[in-house]
Amino acid sequence: MVVLRAGLCPGLSEEMIQLLRASGIRTVVDFVSSDLEDVAQKCSLSYKALVAVRRVLLAQFSAFPTNGADLYEELKSSTAILPTGSPSLDQLLDSGLYTGEMMELMGAPGSGKTQVCLGIAASVSLGLKQHVLFLDSTGGFTASRLYQMLQAQAQAEEEQASSPGALQRIQVVRVFNIYEMLSALQELRDRLSQQVVSSTGPLKMVVIDSVSAVIYPLLGGKQSEGLAIMMQLARELKALAREFSLAVVVTNQVTRDSSTGALKPALGRSWSFVPSTRVLLESKEVTWEKATTQRVASLAKSPRQPTGIQVELDIG
Amino acid sequence: MQREVGSLPLAPALRARLVAAGFQTAQDLLETGPCGLSKEIGISKEEALEVLQVVRQECHGDAARTAGASDATRKCTALELLEEEQAQGFIITFCSALDNILGGGVQLTKITEICGAPGVGKTQLCMQLAVDVQIPECFGGVAGEAVFIDTEGSFMVDRVVDIATACVQHCQLIAEAHQEEDHLKALETFSLESILSHIYYFRCRDYIELLAQVYLLPDFLSEHSKVRLVVVDGIAFPFRHDFEDLSLRTRLLNGLAQQLIIIANDHKAAVVLTNQMTTRIGQSQSTLVPALGESWGHAATVRLIFHWDNSQRLATLYKSPSQKEATIPYHITSHGFRDVQPPAVTQNAEDTEMNPRKRPRREEEK
Repeated sequence: MVVLRAGLCPGLSEEMIQLLRASGIRTVVDFVSSDLEDVAQKCSLSYKALVAVRRVLLAQFSAFPTNGADLYEELKSSTAILPTGSPSLDQLLDSGLYTGEMMELMGAPGSGKTQVCLGIAASVSLGLKQHVLFLDSTGGFTASRLYQMLQAQAQAEEEQASSPGALQRIQVVRVFNIYEMLSALQELRDRLSQQVVSSTGPLKMVVIDSVSAVIYPLLGGKQSEGLAIMMQLARELKALAREFSLAVVVTNQVTRDSSTGALKPALGRSWSFVPSTRVLLESKEVTWEKATTQRVASLAKSPRQPTGIQVELDIG
Repeated sequence: MQREVGSLPLAPALRARLVAAGFQTAQDLLETGPCGLSKEIGISKEEALEVLQVVRQECHGDAARTAGASDATRKCTALELLEEEQAQGFIITFCSALDNILGGGVQLTKITEICGAPGVGKTQLCMQLAVDVQIPECFGGVAGEAVFIDTEGSFMVDRVVDIATACVQHCQLIAEAHQEEDHLKALETFSLESILSHIYYFRCRDYIELLAQVYLLPDFLSEHSKVRLVVVDGIAFPFRHDFEDLSLRTRLLNGLAQQLIIIANDHKAAVVLTNQMTTRIGQSQSTLVPALGESWGHAATVRLIFHWDNSQRLATLYKSPSQKEATIPYHITSHGFRDVQPPAVTQNAEDTEMNPRKRPRREEEK
């Protein structure tokens, strides 16, 4: 919905715009969808000029179709699969996190979502030497735990002391409300499109822990702006993932279904269409009296694998 | 800056009107100017000016951040965070087993939630922490002040006097045994009167007062910059009854949680909340679970559950980003929150002077 302005295309002059506005045509969409003969009569403009302007506007603003083969070639060259550092989780995700897609981790409190996110960030930063952006909205990011994981992974792969370097590749931004999160993502977009290489380096992954903490205060009741903001965030994340070939990992809460009493992911049905892959994390024990580090991850939604696969994870 | 209009922090009705008029990015708004804006949307000139001010603030904030000035934002690398964390202190609880499973004590900049059945010792621990946060740095504390927000009315000043006296006595014994300069100097300022005068007490009777208090807390904390602990004793109490609209309750609680995280982060304070327990009735059995529902469980960063096992009180670390789950026993004595005395007492000569239930000397932990 772009406002018509002089100079948008060669045939569009200021007087034309005033005349069009007088008859209620303000944006490109209005112009292109209106009946040009009517408009020519009402505004006393030449029909030919209007048709020429419409052609130019359509060429400028419409999306171009591509065929499947070109798309496949492009995806083959630009998509990377990032291993998560945990072989069982990789098995669940069909060998890892695909760039250009969003993966969602959901689970009850204490089920290990932050731990899995830290593990993935550690693996990408240490193993692949890529930069990671971690947006923390819960205050749960503990650098000492991340360091512990990096040490453990470095030992397992017998790497030299590269943990401080790996820590520097992970950038942490603390955002505590939705507008801060949106501006952080906007800033990321500006940085990536200007291709400032020095501080960011090759950014491959964005982790958001958690996305429901910032959206929950806006949802529910009679406010409908919560849904609008949530979809804005979803669109921004997916556009970032697709345009800059990033892998996006988000965490979500679970709520209790009021009728059946079963656990279901938070943020409702609208959000359930946003991530392409969804993994549910659960603890093996039912009550909190028996402590364990074992977790069960099950695949709830995936474009590639059959749902319902379960693997065991150890987050110790 | 190509910020989309939908992502700017404006009132929803205003935003809807802007989008309907065809404005897509912040740049469009800035180019139009206040007169054009007020004409297009049908708002007054003052409102248009306000809108443009907000937009300019956001865009300048973005520009400053891309240019590298990051003092206004909370952005840093993990390495810097690690260094920050290692330099940060903990608030000890005087129960060494609990401090061990927490990784050193109650962490600053995080929200710790204590859940438990009535009478198990939640308020006792809160009062103990309000005293412990003031321990001077040479004795291993963080030398801060405390804010105590009470919703249940269970704060007993006489009890705090007992706890504080025991704490001062403990520090005096350490100073006597070691005879160091800074210990003696610190003890001059660390007395019962100073401890009590640095606990700021607020009493909130319903959820509106509680919300107002939490939203006004940042101003209070910027005046009293030494506050390192905020205790909300009984966050469940005002929200558990008289609430017909459960979705409103969830929204308010989540807003409260985010506000508390912002306070914890910006002022480097520890936030401690106490929660009640409720029963979840399952198919075959019923279990005790923390109150306020599933979504509240995500608000706290660290969750401790206090429960009984016959007559022994136990503390379980249920949720923590950096520590493993564990359960330890504890005692509540006349001096406050303490360890359980081990059955085989292996003491050396120095320890027999002090109460064996008290923590070992803190210099070893430094």
